[in-house]
Amino acid sequence: MKGHVRLDGVSKVYRRLARRGRLQSLKGALLHGDLVRGLKASEGFVAVDHVDLDVAPGEAVALIGPNGSGKSTLLKLISGILKPTRGTVDVDGRVTALIELGAGFHPEITGRENVLINGMLLGLTRPEVEAKLDEIVRFADIGEFIDQPVKTYSSGMFVRLGFAVSVAADPDILLIDEVLAVGDAAFTRRSLDQIARMRREGVTLIIVSHDLDLVAHLADRAVYLRHGRVIAKGLADTTAARYRSDVAGDEAADRSAAASSVRVVEEGTRWGTGDVEILDVGFSSCGVPMRVVPSGTDCTVHIAYKVNHPVSDFGFGLAWHKPDGTVVGGHNTFLDGLVPGRLGERGEVRCHYPALDLAPGDYVLDVAIHAREGLAYDYWCQAARLRVTSAVEWPGVWAPEHRWESDGSVFFEADTGSSRG
Amino acid sequence: MDIFRVLWRHRALVVVLVRKELAARYRASLLGYFWSLLNPLMLLAVYAVVFTTVFRPRMAGAQPYALFLFAGLLPWLFFSGALLDAAITLVDNGPLLAKVVCPAEIFPAVTVLSHLVHHVLALPVLLVALAGCAMAGWHPFPWTIVLLPLALIPWILTAGGLALGISALAVHFRDIRDLVANLLNLLFFGTPIIYTLNGIHVGWLWHMLRLNPMTSLIRVYRSLAFTGHIAGPLEWAIAMATGVIVWLAGAWLFGRLRDTLVEAV
Repeated sequence: MKGHVRLDGVSKVYRRLARRGRLQSLKGALLHGDLVRGLKASEGFVAVDHVDLDVAPGEAVALIGPNGSGKSTLLKLISGILKPTRGTVDVDGRVTALIELGAGFHPEITGRENVLINGMLLGLTRPEVEAKLDEIVRFADIGEFIDQPVKTYSSGMFVRLGFAVSVAADPDILLIDEVLAVGDAAFTRRSLDQIARMRREGVTLIIVSHDLDLVAHLADRAVYLRHGRVIAKGLADTTAARYRSDVAGDEAADRSAAASSVRVVEEGTRWGTGDVEILDVGFSSCGVPMRVVPSGTDCTVHIAYKVNHPVSDFGFGLAWHKPDGTVVGGHNTFLDGLVPGRLGERGEVRCHYPALDLAPGDYVLDVAIHAREGLAYDYWCQAARLRVTSAVEWPGVWAPEHRWESDGSVFFEADTGSSRG
Repeated sequence: MDIFRVLWRHRALVVVLVRKELAARYRASLLGYFWSLLNPLMLLAVYAVVFTTVFRPRMAGAQPYALFLFAGLLPWLFFSGALLDAAITLVDNGPLLAKVVCPAEIFPAVTVLSHLVHHVLALPVLLVALAGCAMAGWHPFPWTIVLLPLALIPWILTAGGLALGISALAVHFRDIRDLVANLLNLLFFGTPIIYTLNGIHVGWLWHMLRLNPMTSLIRVYRSLAFTGHIAGPLEWAIAMATGVIVWLAGAWLFGRLRDTLVEAV
């Protein structure tokens, strides 16, 4: 099916660029068509290590991780620019890779000619590019400059034209490597709009970004890479939270060697340093423990914890999801302006909702105890599940108390009074 | 054969890139494409002056010498220019290779083809000079020149094969460009371009020149473009075989190195 991306045990080994052994490796290349075969471990650098990935058509997946974790290499492997050392890459459909905007532009020739060459490199025919030229010029917003040599362009015009050509190629799969950060705010917004439009049309999206908010906004799923290996994959915001926690953990470890490192309790769903541990998460309504709560009634989330190593920087956080991953909402004690004081050795924290205005259905709760910068002591995804009931099957996730009114010109046959049935 | 298929599939792109190559070269120059005509014209003028007033070589079958030299130099300039540019084409187009998905073989092909275009643009100068000499009665007009496209086939194949191999190797070893430049200098004097093979009377030297496959290529070309007869079938066979073998070798080398190119540019 068009737009399907499948990676099976993909590894990429780079030859370290040492002068010694170059002739040797060239001989290898000529004999086996392979530069890294027979390379000693010390001579190769493993950029991507045995990665499996399956991206369904129309899905949006983010690759996140620190610099040098292999994200960009993975993207280049998917695009076909690089060939994997081991494993297979199956890509179905036309791929456009936004790795560097305007990378192929020749400075001496006009924007129009560059658009033609770039469009054809991306797989369009000459008449196709010519038919799309107006659209490209309009999106890039460069007007008369299209007939000027590209060297006279401002850097903004350059990247806008580069983006416009790339997305005009009607890809089935769009690969984006951190390129949206290059332009001004207006450009970023316009390109995000364009990407959103392409997503609605069913284009598969794979992005590499350090902007975790953007990742959570654009992607359904995220893959967290480190040293070329997949550390975690799952829902975009959960995986991003995991990465944030690790980054904060690394920084803490840099500051004090004594700090305990992040450990993973349960692959993909629970991690943290373990300094503070979540014992149990439960719900109550009007003081009575419950697993099912009627919409709009009083509800309290109970978080029982235990301190293993005393910490002074602590906060509690909650994130509500639908079981399909849709984010409903979230809050933590830092955002609510609560300054950490003392954390008793063992106890319970409660978050109270006077009226839980959720639409009927099942909800999943992620619970975390973490430091201000994001270092997780215990981050527990899907720690608890709550069913909300209602007499009316309100759609969506929000079912607030409400009332219909009119200036007297509209009458309804029967006024049932309360909207909540 | 794979490379032929890739090039054929991307023929429209190759054409556009050749046009870009030519346009970029003459961009911001007043005379533009006229330089393709002017450069060989200047060359011919200098030779004409030097070899009619300063030196007067008396080689049989090479009179008028300036015209003889010019007819031999034209294909050689195509050949050497293409190979020198091939050594840098992949590095120059590195951003395209590394940031945009595109088949690497189109770049050496574009290099060879744009030099071929320069060559074709220089041919009118040769034609006019030949016509002038014929009218002055110095040298009969070689009507065989209409067959010149045939003689260009082994040249294109040889230059193409070498360009493929050189471009791929040059990505890994930047010394290749200097090596190629020196080898071309050597080959220039080792091929009967500024002299005729029959003018060599030293036995071992004659045999060495005869073993140089470029000798056949130049003789096939020059017999059509200057002498006015068609070279013998053996000469043609050697020229064509050289073209095919060099192309296959270059394509094989390029195919072997293709997957390593992006990492190295």
